Amino acid sequence: MPADALNSALLPAGLHDVLPSEAAHEAVAVERLLAEFAAHGYRRVDPPLVEFEENLLSGAGAAMAKQTFRVMDPHSQRMMAVRADITPQIVRIATTRLLNEARPLRLCYAGPVLRVNGTQLRPERQFTQVGVELIGAVEPEADAEVILLAVQALTAIGVPHLSVDLCVPKMVERICAGLGRPDDEVRQLRAALDRKDVAGVAEVGGPAATLLETLMSASGPADRAMRALTAVELPEEAELDRRRLTAALAVMRAALPDLTVTIDLVEHRGFGYQTGLSFTLFSRDVGEVGQGGRYHAGANKERATGFTLYMDYILPAIPVVPAPARVYVPHGTPWAASGKLRADGWVTVAGLAPVADAAAEAKRLLCGHRLADGVVHPVE
Amino acid sequence: MSADTSALRTPANDASVTDRLVLALPKGRILKELRPLLSHAGIIPEPAFDDDKSRLLHFATNIPNLSIIRVRSFDVATFVAFGAAHLGVAGNDVLMEFDYPEIYSPLDLGIGKCHLAVAEPAEMIASDDPTRWSHVRVATKYPEVTKRHFAARGVQAECVKLNGAMELAPTLGLCRLIVDLVSTGSTLKANGLEQVEHIANVSSRLIVNRAAFKTRPEVSQWIDTFREAVNAHQA
Repeated sequence: MPADALNSALLPAGLHDVLPSEAAHEAVAVERLLAEFAAHGYRRVDPPLVEFEENLLSGAGAAMAKQTFRVMDPHSQRMMAVRADITPQIVRIATTRLLNEARPLRLCYAGPVLRVNGTQLRPERQFTQVGVELIGAVEPEADAEVILLAVQALTAIGVPHLSVDLCVPKMVERICAGLGRPDDEVRQLRAALDRKDVAGVAEVGGPAATLLETLMSASGPADRAMRALTAVELPEEAELDRRRLTAALAVMRAALPDLTVTIDLVEHRGFGYQTGLSFTLFSRDVGEVGQGGRYHAGANKERATGFTLYMDYILPAIPVVPAPARVYVPHGTPWAASGKLRADGWVTVAGLAPVADAAAEAKRLLCGHRLADGVVHPVE
Repeated sequence: MSADTSALRTPANDASVTDRLVLALPKGRILKELRPLLSHAGIIPEPAFDDDKSRLLHFATNIPNLSIIRVRSFDVATFVAFGAAHLGVAGNDVLMEFDYPEIYSPLDLGIGKCHLAVAEPAEMIASDDPTRWSHVRVATKYPEVTKRHFAARGVQAECVKLNGAMELAPTLGLCRLIVDLVSTGSTLKANGLEQVEHIANVSSRLIVNRAAFKTRPEVSQWIDTFREAVNAHQA
């Protein structure tokens, strides 16, 4: 083994420093999203980074168990877990400390999460999640509200070519259960459906495979998919999902007629705890930018829905908000004079010592302007 | 100015860039079988595509926003998984090995048929009892498929990754077993090997990137076009 010295800049895989301009870019986008959520009545909460393992990984959190870092708490001598997903924390807050708040409860959040494994496609192990949860609402209007809010917020920060893909992660399971198919068959079907592998589904055969093949080939633009979904006979277990989908889609259509909506009736991967109507948000330019859906919150199984947006996917897709112009303020400028500039919207960069060539110094410090004799001059 | 702006680039506004589609095709044997399907689908690559001397890797077609890249079969899956190519043709052996969640394989093209199998030197088979194995060493291009296959029957597989000429490994004592594609079995036979287990049937699939499938209606249209081509071809 070559004995290379460890470079002090090296970070563990999947972790990185966010440098100037990129960090500001993210902060501005996160603030803008949160402002949009707040404008729709969602109030911000901020849970801690680390919690007791058994709390964080119960209920909705169980899906992330394999992706969660654990540490021993020397203080309580109990295992703690670093959050890999914020939603379970919001659920805990809503169903414990905010148990007596009026329903429906609208909460939003933003913060970093840490995951054990990156994937080849997403090597990041730490990234920022921004999202909302709407707890204690059973109406299809609630489903439509969170989807419309996600679209509205993403549009506000400039994510181009948005589309929403609707799905019901438990649909396949419900159809198979309704038709009384054995577990083994369901597993095989699930694996083939996850790859949209028509040949694989046909190979399994049986009544469920025939129905699922129809649903799979109907996946696509919402109108076409809904026509196909209306035409098939579904087991009772799946019927409620169809009604909810139809109702929520109608509300969405009325609000945003031009929104691109697709339906994928056999989608399932990536939805760890969602049980009902769910959705994935896509931007044609960067792929998936967030997802959400209906789930049961807490021990009392309160009906809830919500979504999470991934900032690491969103940032490359959105335009940078230009930072305010920087002005170099030479050494010895009175505090009040530079304060006046800041009040006028400039970013001031103070000279800490006198310099011979103020223009060159301004340029070196990435300032487009400099202050001289009480007047702001552009630097060529 | 500095390198920290990589995440800040604004998306290309140029419609010709964002609207283009890239089809990734594997080099070699499959390509020959694929040509009739391409023609039936109305895709005519530029002449350089058929010129063996051409060093080009990226080819235009008669369809303005569709281009073709020609890469190794394993790389087809990688290009499509990352969305660098939107459509591709890959065997399910490759898809099983990578198992990228971002790849959909909506259509079996019915070409490139063969199977994945475990093979062993013929003279060892008589003296070997596979039920007694707890650990095997296998030479293969498919370490993930191999590990999964053996793990499912409670055997730990130590894989020696080779990129070709797998059949040499047992004869030279590198390992006892190989996992490889078998079509007629003549290569195995010529090297004194015999198939002992069948892992999976293999054929070429039309694959698409998940995000492209969900956001680009023309991807679904191409799937339909290829489906018609396959039906016409098999009829």
